[in-house]
Amino acid sequence: MSLIADRPHSRWAVFRSFELVAGLVLVGGIGLAVILSPWLFPDNGMGVNLLARLRAPFSDWSHILGTDPLGRDVLGRVVAGGRISLLVGVASVAGGAAIGVFMGLVSGFYRGVWDMIVMRFADVQLALPFILLAITFIAILGGGLFNIIMLMIVSQWVQYARLVRGQVLALREREFVLSARSFGVSNFNLIWHHLLPNLLGPVIVLITLNVATNILLESSLTFLGLGVDPSTPSWGGMLADGRTYLQTAWWVSVFPGLAILLTVLGLNLLGDWLRDRLDPTGRTRQ
Amino acid sequence: MTRWNRALRGALLTSALALVTAAQAQPAGTLTISSPQDPGSWDPIDTFLVNWSAVANNIFDGLVARTPDLKIIPGLATEWTISDDGLTYTFKLREGVTFHNGEPFNADAVKYTFDRLLGEEGAKGPQQSNYNAIDSVNVVDEKTVELKLSRPDPVLLTKLAGYGAMIVPPAYIAEKGDEYFNTHPVGTGPFTMTSYTARDAVELKAYDKFWGDKAKLENVTFRFITEPSTALAELQSGRVDMVIPPSVPIGSIPTIEADSKLEIVSTPGATVYSLRFNTRDGITADPRVRKALIMAVDRATINDAILAGQAKPIVSFQSEQTFGNDPSLEAIPFDTAGAQKLLDEAGVKPGTTLQIDVRGNDSTFNEVAQAVASYLSTVGITATIKPYETNVLLNDIIPAGRTGAMWQQAWGAWTFDYDNTAYLMYHKGERWNPYGDDPKLDALLESQRGMTNAQEREKVLQEIARYVADQALEMPLYNLNQIYAINKRVKNFIAPPDSRLRLTDVTVE
Amino acid sequence: MAGFLIKRFLQAIFVVLCVTLLVAYAIRLTGDPALMLSQGAGSVTEDDLARIRTGLGLDRPFYVQYLEFLGGLFTLDFGRSFLGGTPVNQLIGRALPATLALALASLVVSIVISIPLGIASATRQGRWPGQVIRVLSLVGLSFPNFWLAIMLVLVFSISLQWLPPSGMEGWQSFLMPALTMGIILTATNVRLVRTAMLETLKQQYVTVARAKGLSERVVLYKHALRNCAIPLITYLGIQFGGLLGGIVVVERVFNWPGLGTLAFQAVADRDYPVLQGVIVVLSMLIVLVNLIVDIAYGLVDPRIRTE
Repeated sequence: MSLIADRPHSRWAVFRSFELVAGLVLVGGIGLAVILSPWLFPDNGMGVNLLARLRAPFSDWSHILGTDPLGRDVLGRVVAGGRISLLVGVASVAGGAAIGVFMGLVSGFYRGVWDMIVMRFADVQLALPFILLAITFIAILGGGLFNIIMLMIVSQWVQYARLVRGQVLALREREFVLSARSFGVSNFNLIWHHLLPNLLGPVIVLITLNVATNILLESSLTFLGLGVDPSTPSWGGMLADGRTYLQTAWWVSVFPGLAILLTVLGLNLLGDWLRDRLDPTGRTRQ
Repeated sequence: MTRWNRALRGALLTSALALVTAAQAQPAGTLTISSPQDPGSWDPIDTFLVNWSAVANNIFDGLVARTPDLKIIPGLATEWTISDDGLTYTFKLREGVTFHNGEPFNADAVKYTFDRLLGEEGAKGPQQSNYNAIDSVNVVDEKTVELKLSRPDPVLLTKLAGYGAMIVPPAYIAEKGDEYFNTHPVGTGPFTMTSYTARDAVELKAYDKFWGDKAKLENVTFRFITEPSTALAELQSGRVDMVIPPSVPIGSIPTIEADSKLEIVSTPGATVYSLRFNTRDGITADPRVRKALIMAVDRATINDAILAGQAKPIVSFQSEQTFGNDPSLEAIPFDTAGAQKLLDEAGVKPGTTLQIDVRGNDSTFNEVAQAVASYLSTVGITATIKPYETNVLLNDIIPAGRTGAMWQQAWGAWTFDYDNTAYLMYHKGERWNPYGDDPKLDALLESQRGMTNAQEREKVLQEIARYVADQALEMPLYNLNQIYAINKRVKNFIAPPDSRLRLTDVTVE
Repeated sequence: MAGFLIKRFLQAIFVVLCVTLLVAYAIRLTGDPALMLSQGAGSVTEDDLARIRTGLGLDRPFYVQYLEFLGGLFTLDFGRSFLGGTPVNQLIGRALPATLALALASLVVSIVISIPLGIASATRQGRWPGQVIRVLSLVGLSFPNFWLAIMLVLVFSISLQWLPPSGMEGWQSFLMPALTMGIILTATNVRLVRTAMLETLKQQYVTVARAKGLSERVVLYKHALRNCAIPLITYLGIQFGGLLGGIVVVERVFNWPGLGTLAFQAVADRDYPVLQGVIVVLSMLIVLVNLIVDIAYGLVDPRIRTE
């Protein structure tokens, strides 16, 4: 045992990092439960039973975590609710990262007018207080899953664009890029094969951390009453609904709260670990 | 012990003391109330908010007043007569009344108030249209005024007890201007406003020259707290003595009841809730489908389970005390099989979806809507709930006819007259009626407006309610109590059914 | 240097102009204030609405309204609230200090927590206390902050009755909101302090100081800490902007009389003058802070100027 543990370059050495292991366990475990939720809880946590309201947890095996004010199973809702949270987190980040990386690459690589426009755009966006903007736009467009995801994409692509642009500016003067150029490699190939792989590290870090941020954001917006359909279980919605019952039926909001906390913590642990590996200079600090 | 340790201990002790003082109780004679919203202006002609009158009902008086049991009693007028055609109201005014600024109250003040309400200044605000049956106001003598109407208004007397008809001081407004009056209101009521910090708090002090029984409290503070859970926390920590509707969600009642310092005071109010249908488009254009949806929902169970005994089921869109309510009208029964049969007849396929629009911040109704959605799923209807910011729903979605198949309608007819509800809900072209167009219903609604005979009018109102139920224009849900959460140190508080607090008799220990 | 300053300054002005235009335009899409102001009335006709709009000055073309708003900015006159006509600068004048005070308090709370934790995690690098501190600081970052706020109120206001649950009166009322906001920054700041500390501890003068026999505590707090102050302070500048943007939710839970509460209510009320005033003031603050940070960077690190 000790022999393996002492070998610094063992294949398994990375798993000696507490952050990685804990992060993987949390995110993987919760992710798996959420993915399997349609089979684990066929009613999707939406089965109302007005005769079984606010049952306490750990008293009844069919409702291990108790029931909410409409008699729905809290465990089922927590697990099914993860779908909304994870969907919002992943979809918004995927969209934001795709747009941002593209913009960043183009403006960093070609510079000129395009770069000017994108960067001034980014400045304006960074100067706007996000939540206020979100509230204003949701007032115009109404809440709902799609609108919330769009809003997050619009507000976050800038981070990726700035990050990528900065790196491209540094990379394009590096030797391997210059030499590739002198060999007549096309711009597309240059970007795709030489630049992109070299700047993915920090982007992955930022993605991980932003999934975490956006899960929290979704819950904040739902808390403010601007979120998704309340009959679809979501962690933010459960927290908001449960706050009235916090003193008499703590389980209604404590369990979804823990679910958010643990998921976000897992993502942050992973992000932290990734940052040490992929972004030693700390460009993705938030 | 080192010097530092001692210093540190001292600091800790001081801060502990400071903490204790922070949580100390209120000074005697001061009542602190949490109100959810600052109306911005205290001018009676500027507002439509119930939360305005919770404060302003203590500052201003109308010619008449209304008691918590909905009786009209003398206010600034001691007696009045109404002509047989219902077109002339004559008021004898109270003697020896002064406004808070010392200005005397007389017939000129009454005339000024109504001229202002019905004139240019009133046109900028929302109150004018409630009073435009009044044609002119004549000063008969110093203490007598006459209101001439262009058409009879059966609820005029009730309207004179509140809102836009509150009497304002002519010389004060002429001198200081309307803008100033908005934030420094002066009336004849039992309290004067001593300070107003916009979006934060209002402070009132007892008026020592009040014409009636003087207020027993020295001071009243209203704090504006939007979040119901924050208001509740303030109440529980003893820094607020009373939380007024709608800031006491049903879900928080067990918490309040469990706290030995607090209690719930509630009274049947005017506020009724329903889910109304889009009667123009989609499956709900078919009356059979509407009826089926109503039958599919066990409204009695929803009442019992979710509303904790704080609501009564309704059959038409009005409360029991409302003029026009018909106790003999029967509710459409809960009948899943019957609903299914009607839906099949109408050709609605299982799995059909519909959308229910609700106010996002109304936690009690959100639970109700989710329960309704789950009942609808038992007859194969998939309902989604779309939460809107309240003002968006009220101003952009409903009036523009952009709702889902069903939408939340909450309505508090403070006049307790079904006309005040029915006309605005069902008459063609009204703001709250984006879809309906039914000449027969319109004719009924118009016919009762000119009637001066109360009994005849009541009959027509009941007929309207029956017609609406027959057409299944809405799913009537419940009449919610006005729920106040108070600290037990508050005594003699009688909950008004309309949030219009009058705190003259209230005391605190 | 002068060229850099001028360029940065012009950019900042450009950003503020864009923000004002965007905000003024977007706000006018949120809905009609006349409908809102008349919603409690009985039957309302199109004429009634038109009259209310004229009264609010909303019948004029957008560019006129925008230019008026822009012109007002120079004299700090943001117009009057649609609700009751209170001057907006009066409302902002009261709310801005409250928000700034809370943001500052949050930074202070975060620093007070971060510095000892960061040092501890640096000096115990690789051992379990270091790990625990890192994970703990991440837990702080992972809380939904409104939920944390509600929990704090439950414990400190309702159960223990030590702290006022809402409002701004005295230093006690700062503790919970500042902790709620500050804890989000703690993870980043602990990391910052740790990195800076590790870096400094490798430097020669620390070794010399140690060799002189100075106690470990003196070495850490006097020498090393001084050296990580610069990155920390610069970074706090950046965080300050983020704090201002994220303060809305926390202000709402604590009924804090700040810009967030003001703006949130203004959205609901369609109070255009108040809303556009608040957003523009917040944006100007963020731009200003970024400008200062950039200039400070430029002074410290000349390489940045050329980019």
